[in-house]
Amino acid sequence: MVWFLIAAGLSIIFGTLKVLNLAHGSLYMLGSFCCYQVTVSLAGVPGNFWLAVLVAPLVVALVGGIIEIFLLRPIYKAEMIYQYILTFALVLIIAEACKMIWGTGYHSVAVPWPFKGSVGMFGLSFPIYNLFLIAMGPVVFIGLRTLINKTDLGRNIRAVTENREMANALGTNVPRVYTGVFMLGAWLAGLAGSLWPPVSVVMLGSDMAVVIDCFIIVVIGGLGSLAGAFVGALILGLTTAFGLYLIPKLAVAFGFILMIIILIIRPYGLMGEPE
Amino acid sequence: MTAVSMNRISLLGTSPRNAVMLAGAMIVMVALPYFLGQSWLSITTEMLILALAASALNIMLGYTGLVSFGPAGLYAVGAYTTGVLMEKLGWGMLPATLAAPVMAGLVGALVGWFCVRRSAVYFALLTLAFSQVIWTVVFQWYSVTGGDDGLVSVPIPDFFFEITNCYYFMLAVVSVCLFVIWKIVNSPFGMTLQAIRENPNRVEFIGVNVKHYQLASFIISSMFLGIAGSMFCVFSGSVFPDYAYWAKSADMLVICLLGGIYNFFGPLVGTVVYTMLTKIISEYTMHWHLILGGIIVVIILAMRKGVVGTLSAYWADRKSAAA
Repeated sequence: MVWFLIAAGLSIIFGTLKVLNLAHGSLYMLGSFCCYQVTVSLAGVPGNFWLAVLVAPLVVALVGGIIEIFLLRPIYKAEMIYQYILTFALVLIIAEACKMIWGTGYHSVAVPWPFKGSVGMFGLSFPIYNLFLIAMGPVVFIGLRTLINKTDLGRNIRAVTENREMANALGTNVPRVYTGVFMLGAWLAGLAGSLWPPVSVVMLGSDMAVVIDCFIIVVIGGLGSLAGAFVGALILGLTTAFGLYLIPKLAVAFGFILMIIILIIRPYGLMGEPE
Repeated sequence: MTAVSMNRISLLGTSPRNAVMLAGAMIVMVALPYFLGQSWLSITTEMLILALAASALNIMLGYTGLVSFGPAGLYAVGAYTTGVLMEKLGWGMLPATLAAPVMAGLVGALVGWFCVRRSAVYFALLTLAFSQVIWTVVFQWYSVTGGDDGLVSVPIPDFFFEITNCYYFMLAVVSVCLFVIWKIVNSPFGMTLQAIRENPNRVEFIGVNVKHYQLASFIISSMFLGIAGSMFCVFSGSVFPDYAYWAKSADMLVICLLGGIYNFFGPLVGTVVYTMLTKIISEYTMHWHLILGGIIVVIILAMRKGVVGTLSAYWADRKSAAA
């Protein structure tokens, strides 16, 4: 489900800005490191992890805003290839910055109160925190759907996605919507990044791993579609789990095989529109 | 830009002045071993291979207008093909190096077929994904690729231990390859690729199968990347999974950008500038990637045509001012 958050951010940014953010995994990783930092700095304060979950995504959203305003905005008019390469450069910069600040070691964050321990279900035991994460997926999905379909901000976003020039002519502040959407996407990546550490570890290299998984998800689901990201994340999650169960060493390959099958039979993704 | 870039390509064609310059460059390259020390000669050899890889990437990037984030994957396919055939199967160097472009071409055909199926966005995304697949395969398939340890004892003929020999060999291979690439991009086929870069829709309307041409460009580029990888294997006697890692692709992209992607000589100049920058900057800081990323950002925001592009635009301006 954490995958869904990241893929949703990637998909929203692409849908509106038409920019493929290769640095999306890096924003996720930045979120993880920030979460670790806040949790450690506030050790002893009750609810320190939850404060981190509040703060870290905001920091990432802020970084996202700075990236959009100062780096992406000047080159929307230039050819697409420069946008890709620019976000690729950000991957390098963010990875190296994280390395400078937090070093190359592994960091871990304890499972927070009140989700310690695990519960038994169907004769298996599940860590409560993982169940909480699973629940987060649909919650965020519904939240985003509501935001986009029901609010004024969402209406503006949809207008700009539909037709940038027309929305601009009708008085929508397009640059501001762009910045907002990019920050929203970054916030989602940051949120995912700060929720994940208790399950796993915070480390360098997660940026690329995550962004590749996200690519698989959006290829499966269709780029630019929220529902597609949701379905894609579910399918990839199940496939990988199944793969881990069958052939642990080749679990990674299962996701790719799935992506290839989708590319052959339905190249625009399960929820995507044919071009 | 269309007119300008087209113009420049024909300008660098067969005029006597350029022929003289080319001959001059060749003489300098041949004479280099008499001036350079061992370590610099080794660096120059590395540069030659890198220049070939970057030029191969530029067939896609600059001429066809497709951004591939996975050139390192195909480069590694070439390197591993040669490495595995020589170390594990005991092939001779000649068949092992000849097998590299064939293998890279086959992998390129397979990967490329998926990558050109949809729009440019998917191309970027899929090339990155596939190169990571190659990296993962290399990393996990311990029995063949040596996994993390790589292949460290590829039995390279003694001839190549002498760096001067190695240099001349690479110079010959790279020159021939560059000449072939030059012929390809300036053939009608290459012109079609450039037309696709400028306006794929229009080319499609004329009745050209754009996807076939893009795939062909991908395969050709893959084969030359395979050669470059194979040559690096011969040069260093070892192959590591790092060759397939995305950071390697980033290096190649930066080289093309630094030099200028709309120019045949861009990647060559880019290689020299890039290697020098690496040398200089890594003496001051360990955080080379941070600077590298910064350089890309600056190029994209301020100097999109790269060194060669910017300089030749400057010369063109001066010429027209003088006339």
